[in-house]
Amino acid sequence: MKLGKRWLPAHVLVWTYAVLLVVPLYYFLASAFKSNEEIFAHPFAPPTSLGLDNFRTAFDSADLGLAVVNSALVTVFSLALTLLLAIPAAFALARSTGRLAGVVEKVFSLGFLIPTFAALFPTFLLAAATGLFHTRIFMVLFLPATALPLSVVILVQFMRTIPPEMEEAARLDGASTFAVLRHVYTPMCLPGIATVLLLNFLTFWNEYLYSLVIIGPDPAQRTVQVALPTLKSITGTDYGVLTAGTVLTLVPVWVVYTVLQKRMQQALVSGAVKM
Amino acid sequence: MTTLTTTPDGRAARRSAPPPAPASAARRPRQGGTVLAVPALVWYLVFMVGPLLAIFVIAALHWPGMLQLVSFAGLDNVRAVLDDPVFWDAIRNTAVQLAVALPVMIVCAYMLGYYVAQRPPGHRVIRYLLFIPGLISTPAKAMVFYAALSPDGLLNGALSGVGLGSLTDAWLASPSTALACLIALDIWSGIGFTAVLFAARLGSVPDELGEAAQLDGAGHWRTMWSVHFPVIRDYVGVVTMLQFLWTLFGSAQHVLLLTQGGPGTSSTTLSFLVYQKAFIAADLGYSQTVGVLLFLAGLVGLLTIRRVFRQNY
Repeated sequence: MKLGKRWLPAHVLVWTYAVLLVVPLYYFLASAFKSNEEIFAHPFAPPTSLGLDNFRTAFDSADLGLAVVNSALVTVFSLALTLLLAIPAAFALARSTGRLAGVVEKVFSLGFLIPTFAALFPTFLLAAATGLFHTRIFMVLFLPATALPLSVVILVQFMRTIPPEMEEAARLDGASTFAVLRHVYTPMCLPGIATVLLLNFLTFWNEYLYSLVIIGPDPAQRTVQVALPTLKSITGTDYGVLTAGTVLTLVPVWVVYTVLQKRMQQALVSGAVKM
Repeated sequence: MTTLTTTPDGRAARRSAPPPAPASAARRPRQGGTVLAVPALVWYLVFMVGPLLAIFVIAALHWPGMLQLVSFAGLDNVRAVLDDPVFWDAIRNTAVQLAVALPVMIVCAYMLGYYVAQRPPGHRVIRYLLFIPGLISTPAKAMVFYAALSPDGLLNGALSGVGLGSLTDAWLASPSTALACLIALDIWSGIGFTAVLFAARLGSVPDELGEAAQLDGAGHWRTMWSVHFPVIRDYVGVVTMLQFLWTLFGSAQHVLLLTQGGPGTSSTTLSFLVYQKAFIAADLGYSQTVGVLLFLAGLVGLLTIRRVFRQNY
């Protein structure tokens, strides 16, 4: 359809919103290289030098380096465990035609309705009861559980598209159930696995409240999302350091988004649309 | 990123019957491997369903702190909660938050999604930018708003810059604006990603539909609301449910990071009250009672939204 002259207000409104999305990011990126005086005097001016002092201060005062490592550890191990649990489960549910499997699949898809926040305190108790309170290990065990409903449902959908003849052929060659999973199903649903990985990478890396409550504020253990807000109180209103720290936490996500833009957009949309 | 999930309602539930298999395969069903679903199921029950059920138990306990004696309280907690003016403040704040944020977000996102789906010049750039709020973490969003709204932040700087210095305020620390700031954060971050979802869904509506409406003399406004909206009505319902859940339960993090519920109780929302009573005031029975009420509110809200957006053609 043609967009006529009367669309001018629409263009203006949409681009205004786009500017509202970009300006804070630009402000953060620019301020990360400026001192407080420069920020207040010329908030939108590009930085005059690309000194890394703010980044260094942010690193030192909030132990951000360690926090990035912690976040990376939690994210990577949680992702591995998610796949380890979700792929076999999806394999079982996609191939089975029994009623029990139908019920189990229903149980997983009902998980979409459980807002993770609701069970924050009981989960905290569970961490205390298992002796894993204030450890990253509990988060590595817990995060995959929150990701399972979406991951299982997405993978089941991918695996249903694999024709049963593939398995029958492998069986004739003497493949075991495990071999069928490993050599037929897993390679054939790599796009689904990629979608699950990308979605969960975002969720795990960005997770805040559970990390705050369960891992706690110990600098040796805490993740980058927990460390970031502490910059506000440590540095008072040193915006240069605050923005440098924020930019730092965004870098991994930004790199992944830029490299895998198409795939990431598809993953994000399909995470909601696939159902 | 709870926003990524969706309800089991709709297509997922409508699984088609397995295709008729050849006779030999029917007699020899694909056997083995069902047991592989067990670890995931156990994991999910232990870490998700168990804690959820525990809320209902703890809500019936008198538990004044982690290391204190626990005793059965029956409905005492419910009475204490209902008698507490702070609870009613939280109800009011949450109601205001939902009543403002949700309609604004969904309506704006729908129109924005429609706009992007028409592929106007620059729509690729817009699409790229709309993903931004979906990518950055809650603490990072909070830092953006903190930098924008603190007394010597971006907004006050801009106001003084254009000679409106008298309008500057400590936005996050003023009782009349604290809640508004949180709502602004919801809307700012909610519109972008929701619009992307709508654009994706509108993209699969056949072009002929819009063109036919145009031939009949309908403008874009009419086409948007009277032609496309009814077609994707149930999808709008699903997305509204997601945003409802996310706003209702997710506000705890924004409040914690930006206002701590204050000043006074002016920005205390229900979900923040759950957090605050559990981890700051250590009144665990009270906290989980509010948790139960929050859960029920979520359930009622979901059913209501589903009813409102039921496909009616």
